[in-house]
Amino acid sequence: MRIAVCRPQVPFAHGGAEIFADRLVAELRAREHDADLVTVPFKWYPGERVLTQAFLWRLLDLEEADGRRIDLVVATKFPSYCVRHPNKVVWLLHQFRQAYELDRTALGQFGEAPEERATRRAVQRLDRVALGEARRVFATSRNVADRLERSTGLRAEVMPHPPQELDYRCDEYGDFVLSVGRLDRAKRVDLILEAVAVDPALRCVVAGDGPDRARLEDVARRHGLDGRVTFAGRVDERELSDLYARCLAVYYAPVDEDFGMVPYEAFLAEKPVITTTDAGGPLEIVADRRTGLVCDPRAAALAEACAWLRGHRDDARAFGRAGRAIAERVSWTETVERLLS
Amino acid sequence: MKVAYYSPLPPSRSGVADYSALLLPALGRRLEVEPVRPGRFRREPKGDVSVYHVGNDPEAHGWILEALRRRPGVVVLHEFVLHHLVAGMTLARGDADGYKDALEREHGLVGRLLAYAVLDNKLPPLWETRPEDFPLAGEVLRLATGLIVHSRFVEERARAAGFDGPIWRIPHPAWPLPAIERAGVEGAPLVGCFGHLNESKRVPQLLEAFARLRASRPGARLLLVGAASRRVADRLAGDGVLREDYVDEPRLWSLMAACDVCVSLRSPTMGETSGSAIRALSLGKPLVVSDVGWFAELPDSVALKAAVDEHEVETIVAALELLAGDEGVRLAMGRAARELVEREHDLERVAELYAAALEEAAGGPAVRDAVLREVAGAAAGVGLRETAELAERLGEVGLGR
Repeated sequence: MRIAVCRPQVPFAHGGAEIFADRLVAELRAREHDADLVTVPFKWYPGERVLTQAFLWRLLDLEEADGRRIDLVVATKFPSYCVRHPNKVVWLLHQFRQAYELDRTALGQFGEAPEERATRRAVQRLDRVALGEARRVFATSRNVADRLERSTGLRAEVMPHPPQELDYRCDEYGDFVLSVGRLDRAKRVDLILEAVAVDPALRCVVAGDGPDRARLEDVARRHGLDGRVTFAGRVDERELSDLYARCLAVYYAPVDEDFGMVPYEAFLAEKPVITTTDAGGPLEIVADRRTGLVCDPRAAALAEACAWLRGHRDDARAFGRAGRAIAERVSWTETVERLLS
Repeated sequence: MKVAYYSPLPPSRSGVADYSALLLPALGRRLEVEPVRPGRFRREPKGDVSVYHVGNDPEAHGWILEALRRRPGVVVLHEFVLHHLVAGMTLARGDADGYKDALEREHGLVGRLLAYAVLDNKLPPLWETRPEDFPLAGEVLRLATGLIVHSRFVEERARAAGFDGPIWRIPHPAWPLPAIERAGVEGAPLVGCFGHLNESKRVPQLLEAFARLRASRPGARLLLVGAASRRVADRLAGDGVLREDYVDEPRLWSLMAACDVCVSLRSPTMGETSGSAIRALSLGKPLVVSDVGWFAELPDSVALKAAVDEHEVETIVAALELLAGDEGVRLAMGRAARELVEREHDLERVAELYAAALEEAAGGPAVRDAVLREVAGAAAGVGLRETAELAERLGEVGLGR
């Protein structure tokens, strides 16, 4: 089958969505499909730019390429699913969240001027049209599926995807908590930094890069955390698997996250995940005292959770192993079959 | 974003006043809403958008149409037929020419001649005999920058009348169920009919159908609740017929809760929705309705529909017989009714749809212009003159003009 996998590309940014789409193409090729990745640069500001950039996808003709029919288009996140195709399947990572649950929050984008409110509504209308015309919609988590249904009335089948391939292993339950992910405000890395400030015995390694890095480094400096917090920046696969292998636990608590590959990756390294009660998607697999710890989104509560795991390494191992059993149930073989069925 | 909100409000005893009283708090959580009160010397708020609730009652809506004339805006068209409103704002104020002009504007010379015939008592008043044929909605449609309607019926008529602006179809909101006890009214079954009782509610047909039902089910009772028009007031009696005049809201809910079946017939329809039918659905009551207008758009799972034809009475009898004799059907329809209300008529959902409509109305044209400028500019920059496809693609996703 000839399959085009569509995803937007924010130039110079690389995160979970990019890893996912690249891997999906590789998995489809491994199953002898003629798959390719289609990307279009995306910029969502200022003003109505989000609409004109989304509209670029509408103008693409992916019905055929070089004289040969494209049988299936798999779109991933906003605005790639605006593409037109008679056989369009959406595997939804997320909608444009600023137009939905992030509106009128610190992470929102649209102000109160009539044009800004109308731009937000135009994004919602675009979603209803573009997602409504898909032959099938999958969502990477229950959280994403529920948001979709609340916002558009459209229903999606929940289908998580496996995490990236790494040399997952567990060498020890070491003396630091690992934070993995793009450094932007929504990922809420501040919270673990504040927890480190609360507990002088706590250490943390922050892996990842992004627009919020300078501010976070400043937060660490102001709290006097030098030496106990390491900003490792963007790490390669070997370094990342090594960090997973050595850490005590993995911190992952963005605000109402869509899905998050990080907990799956942590579990494959047999590490428990520490998250918060408002983290969204991660709560679908991180169960308190079964596969990790779920605490209030407060620095003191987080510091207490980290300290508890430090004092209960056998429990940390048990939680991590229970998580591994969950993560191993998600396989590319099963998901690709469902996607193409 | 600020919204100037023109609507009758309690203590006005109109369905639209009840509607706005229900909607306003939920809408106020989403937008800065300033309700406007009638009064010649009141200051008119300058919102980013004005919304006008227009219905057929000149007393409740005349001042709103006058405000709409001063400043066009979004119209909530609660019914399509506005003949009564226009007659009330012209003839009732001694403005016969205004009435003749209104009929001529929409129906040409024939309209003017009909107006003369009515004024000379050669014809009975059109607003009583054939309002649906002469709806007189033209002026409101010309002034409206967008329409909010509750049914496909009104949407289709507005389009057929030439309205080419945006139309948002938003369901009537449901009232939260109050904590009430069923009234102590019995019947086997107890059939209820609620609201203003007049000929368009098909009261004579309902009474005839009920008499036939009672012949086979002597325990049946028909509960008629609401103020009655002169024409039907003296006919609201009969074996098994129970009568209550206008009742307050708690009593209305309590009586409705006691019913096994609610009947909401209508013909001719002015395109209106029925607040009492919505209340009955909220309570999970099976409905018997006329197969017209908004009522015809109710899912078959919640309402049995009687066509308005020569078999109307027989159809109503059959519907009542079915519901009286089969508790399973009653329960299934009741479940479906509650699900429908939760899915479609939930107050927060309706308020969100309103907010979306008003935000699009206020800022949408500027946003569409900006998108078009950018897209057209990019096309022109590379010498692309054939832009039909661009326009089609923009239109598909609501970004076209």
